[in-house]
Parts: sequence; C-alpha cells; structure tokens
Amino acid sequence: MSANTYDAIVIGSGISGGWAAKELTEKGLKTIMLERGRNIEHIKDYVNANKAPWEFAHRGGRTQQMIKDYPVLKRDYPLNETNLDYWVNEKESPYVEVKRFDWFRGYHVGGRSLMWGRQSYRWADVNFEDNAKDGHGVDWPIRYKDLEPWYGYVEKFAGISGNRDGLSILPDGEFMPAMEMNCVEKDVAARFKEHYKEARAFIIGRTANITVAHNNRTNCQYRNKCWLGCPFGAYFSTQSATLPAATATGNLTVRPWSIVTKILYDKDTKKAKGVEVLDAETNQTYEYFAKVIFLNASTLNSAWVLMNSATDIWPDGLGSSSGELGHNLMDHHLGVGAGGIVEGFQDKYYFGRRANGIYIPRFRNLNGEKRDYVRGFGYQGGAGREGWGRDIAEMNIGGAFKDALTEPGLWGMGIGGFGETLPYHENRAYLDKTKKDKWGLPVLAIDAEIKDNEKKMRIDMANDAKEMMEAAGVKNVQTYNSEGVLGRGIHEMGTARMGRDPKTSVLNGWNQVWDAQNVFVTDGAAMASTACQNPSLTYMALTARAADHAVSELKKGNI
Amino acid sequence: MNRRTVIKNLALVIGGAVLLPSCLRKDGTSYVQLKHISLDGDQQNLIADIAEIIIPKTDVPGAKDLNLPAFVLKMLDDCYNKKDQLAFLAGLDKFNTLVKTKYNSTFSDLSVKDKEAVLIGIENSNKPKAGSKAPARRPKPQKNMAADPLNAFYWSIKQQTIFGYTTSQFFMTKEIFYDMVPGRYNVHFPVSKLKLKLA
Repeated sequence: MSANTYDAIVIGSGISGGWAAKELTEKGLKTIMLERGRNIEHIKDYVNANKAPWEFAHRGGRTQQMIKDYPVLKRDYPLNETNLDYWVNEKESPYVEVKRFDWFRGYHVGGRSLMWGRQSYRWADVNFEDNAKDGHGVDWPIRYKDLEPWYGYVEKFAGISGNRDGLSILPDGEFMPAMEMNCVEKDVAARFKEHYKEARAFIIGRTANITVAHNNRTNCQYRNKCWLGCPFGAYFSTQSATLPAATATGNLTVRPWSIVTKILYDKDTKKAKGVEVLDAETNQTYEYFAKVIFLNASTLNSAWVLMNSATDIWPDGLGSSSGELGHNLMDHHLGVGAGGIVEGFQDKYYFGRRANGIYIPRFRNLNGEKRDYVRGFGYQGGAGREGWGRDIAEMNIGGAFKDALTEPGLWGMGIGGFGETLPYHENRAYLDKTKKDKWGLPVLAIDAEIKDNEKKMRIDMANDAKEMMEAAGVKNVQTYNSEGVLGRGIHEMGTARMGRDPKTSVLNGWNQVWDAQNVFVTDGAAMASTACQNPSLTYMALTARAADHAVSELKKGNI
Repeated sequence: MNRRTVIKNLALVIGGAVLLPSCLRKDGTSYVQLKHISLDGDQQNLIADIAEIIIPKTDVPGAKDLNLPAFVLKMLDDCYNKKDQLAFLAGLDKFNTLVKTKYNSTFSDLSVKDKEAVLIGIENSNKPKAGSKAPARRPKPQKNMAADPLNAFYWSIKQQTIFGYTTSQFFMTKEIFYDMVPGRYNVHFPVSKLKLKLA
C-alpha cells in the first residue's frame, strides 16, 4: 500500500464530511479527510470566542473595507467583524451569478459546521412523499422509516436538545432536555394553543446545543456566541464532535489546503480509484487512492467536483449521464414574516443568552387542505426585550436619559418563515470555463430563482405570520416580505439528487453515484426536495446510513 | 499615529475607559487620525462636546471620560460610506451656522443649558406628527426623517455615542449586569436585578 493509498477518502470536513470520517474510521477504515482550506483547531483557533463586546474595534459591525472585500457576504447578516475569518475570501474564490444567488461559504476544517444555525429537525413521512404525490421532481428512493433509526443514531451522538412534542409533521427524536421559553414566549404559546388547539404548534426550537454534559463536551453556557466557535464545545461541529471521535480511532488523516480537482474514474472497473488534489498553498498536484470515496464538499462544490471528473467518458462530468447533475438547485426561501410588541412583563427579564428560539412547524397543505400552491413552510422566531432607546418623551439627551438607558426596552415577538422550494430542472449550476479562481480552476455559474409556487406561498407566509401573532396577543404587528432570493437560506440542496432511476437522478437510494458506485454523495447535493425543515440533521442521518452501507458493500466485495 | 496605533490605542481606551482621561487637546490638534473623512481639531471637539451633552458626566463617567468621541470618530471614519460622510460634513456646517445665527457663538462656548436647547431643538423637529400611526416597534430615529444633512450629522453622533456607551466596559460591568459566561438560562429574572445600582 503506497503512502497515498487509504481505504476511504472523504472530500470536505463540514457537517456531513465530519460524520463520514467518524463513521468510516470507527468501522476500521483508514481514512483521509481532504479539506480545501486551512485548519482551525478546536478552542485554540477560536480567536474571538472569549472577547467582550467592547473589545471589538467596531463593536462587531462592518467597515466600508469589509463591504468592499465581501460583495456577496455583505448582502446579509454574516458580514460582521467578529468571525470574518470563517467566511470565504470572495476574491480568491469567485463565482458567476447568472441570477442573483447569495452563496455564503466557509473554506476551512469544520466548514459551516462552525457557523451553522444548529436548528435540528427530523423530516416526516409527508416530506419524503410529496414529490411522488404532487409530481414535482422525482420520487425519493427512501421514506421516513428508512431514515428513522439513523436520525436517532445521529441525534444521540450530536446532542440535540428539544421537547418531545408528539407532532406527526415533526417527529420526536432522542432529545436532551429542552431549553426553556422565556416568559413572553410562554404567554404567547398559551394563547396560541388556546386559539389553534391541535391544528398548529408553537414549540421550543430543537437545537444542536447540548443541555447536559456529553462526550467530554460541556453543556451550553448560554453565551449566544456560537458562531465564534465554542470553547465549551457545547454545540455540534466537526471540531467539537465528529473530528475527536474520528481521531480517537487512530484511523484518520486530515489534510487541509487540499482542493480536490477531480475524482479519478477507472472505466474498466466502472469505479472511482481516487482523487486528484491541488495543494492550495504550494500549487503541487497529488493523487490519493482509496476503495471508497465520500463527497461532502457542500451542495454546489460537490457538483463542481463531479462536473470536473471523468469528462473523457461524460463531457459534463461524473454523474451527468442522467442530465441532472448540477440541476434542481434548491434552498429555503425566507425573508418573510411578522412581528410586533408584547405589552406588559415590564418587570421581567431573563438571565443568560439563549442561542435558540421557538419553532412553528408546517401546517399548510396537510390533511387534505389545498392552497393555490403546493408544499409548505415553517417559522422560527422568538421574544426578547430591546436594549437602549426606550422611547422617553422629552428626555432624549442628558443625565436622566443616560440613567434610563439601563432600562430594557419593550418586549417584542417575531417569526420568520422558511419556505420549501420546488426542484426545478432549470435551476442549476454549471462550469463557467471562461472565469478562473485563484488556482486557475473554472468557477461555477449559478442560474436559479424562485418561481410562482414560492411566490404564492410567500403571501401565505406573511399573512399567516400576522394572523398568528395577532391571535396570540402580539400588538402592532407588521409584516415584511423581502425579495425571495435563493442562497440566502444557506440551505443549498439538490445538485446531485437521489432517485429511483439512473435516467433521472444522479444518486441511488444509498447515496451512491449511479455511474460509480463506490462514490457516495451525502451532503445537501443529494436532496430530492427541500421540505421546510432545516436540513443538516438529515444530512447527518443520510451520511451515517450511507457509511454503514458502504462498509457492508465493501465487505461483500460489491464495491 | 498610523491606523494600527489608533486601533491599539482605541482598544486600550475601551479596555481601560475609566482610567484614561480624554486625550482631547485644548490647542485643537486632532486626537484621532482619520483616514476616510477629514475632520480638523475644532470639528472633532464639536463632536466630543455634542456627545458629552447626550451622555454627560453625572455621578458616573460621561462621554468624554469614556472616550466615546474617539469611538464615534472611528465609526464615522471606517463604517460610513462616502455619501453618508459627505452628508455628515454638510450637516456639521449647517449645525455651526444654526448655532452662530441663534447665539452668535460657537457651540463649545455655549452654556450647558443652551447646548441642550440646541440638541433638543433638533430632536423636536423630528417628532412624529400628532395622529400619525404608531410604529410597531421601537422607532428608529434615523428612519423616515427628512433627508436633512443636519439630521445626518446629529443622529450619527447620537447613535454612535449611545452605541459606544451601552457597549462600553463601564456600562456593561458597572451599570447593568452582563455576564460573559451566564452558565444557565433563567426565565424568571427580574429587571431590578439587571440594574446594578438598584440590585
């Protein structure tokens, strides 16, 4: 066995790559995990995690220089002073927007597992059935029951806190104790329940923040600084959870600065034999070989790797024989919701900063209801008290005003929708060979947009939000409905979808590329639809399931 | 002073806010080297004087004690775009003219009472009209204001002074109860415990 030969190669080190590395190494496979960016060492490299608010020169804000340097990131909240180093350098790694697509990337060990929102929800039966029922996209090759044990498996290891709410649309999991609603959320929840009974639910968010110590990780300290990296390891990330487990096996090698440029395909065996790597620091090219390859480079970059692979056989890349590689790009559409103020509770506050909110699961187009669009949406939200600036008549400057600043403002409550986006063949990413990145590699062009179904859904998303807030006693409710831009949800999915037929899908029911069955794609690329739940928990479950299958197939000699 | 030194000094200032006196100089030389906006010593002093009226020294430190003017200038310099900076500068001139016309004096030479009257005058000119629809949430003073450079000037200073104050080490450790590592989430925390003076 040469120095560059392993049992398994994992491309990417984010949420799904970390899971692939953990599962494969724990099953005894010598594995190399290739990460295109730099290393970030757990705790040591979380350079801003222990800074106080006043220690940031612009108190966390954005400078004009940052706005100039990050023309994409500036479009939404991620551009900020506190974790700027976790976001991709856009000058080095450009892409082409045929239509606006907000692509927020993290190129480093851990990927976006360091900055993710941590909301973790199972999918339900209906989510796997919708494609077949309404005819959009292709039928999922699996159902909830196929994934159910794997959801439980990954929840127990990742550590998901939540309440067992008993909802069929949002199956309960193996939860740690839930976080608590604050006093206003409890009040709103009670009125919500009184009004909607069992028809709609208002629950505490289920989040990958541990509420009890777990696997040498300290329980959540309620700092709400997760995206700086947690020195307590209290939220699930590659660094806090899967990487230590994989490392402990002695079977893992991590290689940062390794841009996988292609998967090496052997047309005689009809399998992949390895990958070609461009060292991002030295520009040297290397080859690594393995029996099984897990592609977890994130939805768009996994498609990019496939498009660059086996082009001598398939000009559009490995997995393109179906004509679906790069197509059916999806995201959750958001930026629509409602909020207002809650009267009273002026003597009440909360201690601790909870990195979690409330959740309202999907309630539309279920139980026989038929709106003028298909599928549905859920909401995330929460109640809080505003800081300075309580409107103090005739007292907006001076000593009395200064004293009044210590008084928290009004209670507010708001919710924002996450809507399902249908798989449209014409929403796609493809290689633009006229434009190159820092390393001379062709970049992706992205051409995707929301369509009528999503636009109609957004009207309900705004109106339902207002109606629910008012029914729950929130005052002065105002709605917002910004432009529905894809990418903004940071839930890219679907460029190499799973399916039942190699003619219409890139992957089979075990996430294997139809045309190279020892290549598994288990990140968002694999998704055949988006549901409206946050997707990462499903990637984890798909990855653990696929890794189990891969090792079993290896043992049988099938791959 | 180069930018790096400024940032370093600012960090020191913010870190040890109460210990360090304001480095505003009487001779009018500038105390913050700005890179993207041009403000001479007098203009910087004016900003500091306005900040001090908004957050005056009381039984606890005021804007100048806490070096908030340096923070306001840093934010203006680094975070405002050219258009907003030009509006700010135009507003500064307008502010000086307004004071000169009414008091035949510079703002800095006015009594505290007159200084307050000038600022309250600007505040009142932006009050919502009687009968107008109440905003859903806390009104943001910058929103829906007349596009008057005087407003750009005044509200920029006010916003950044308050932002600097409420995120200063002094405020967050001496005025309110802020714990870096709360360790738990308590939903029955009374407001009275939040304010250290009352606790």
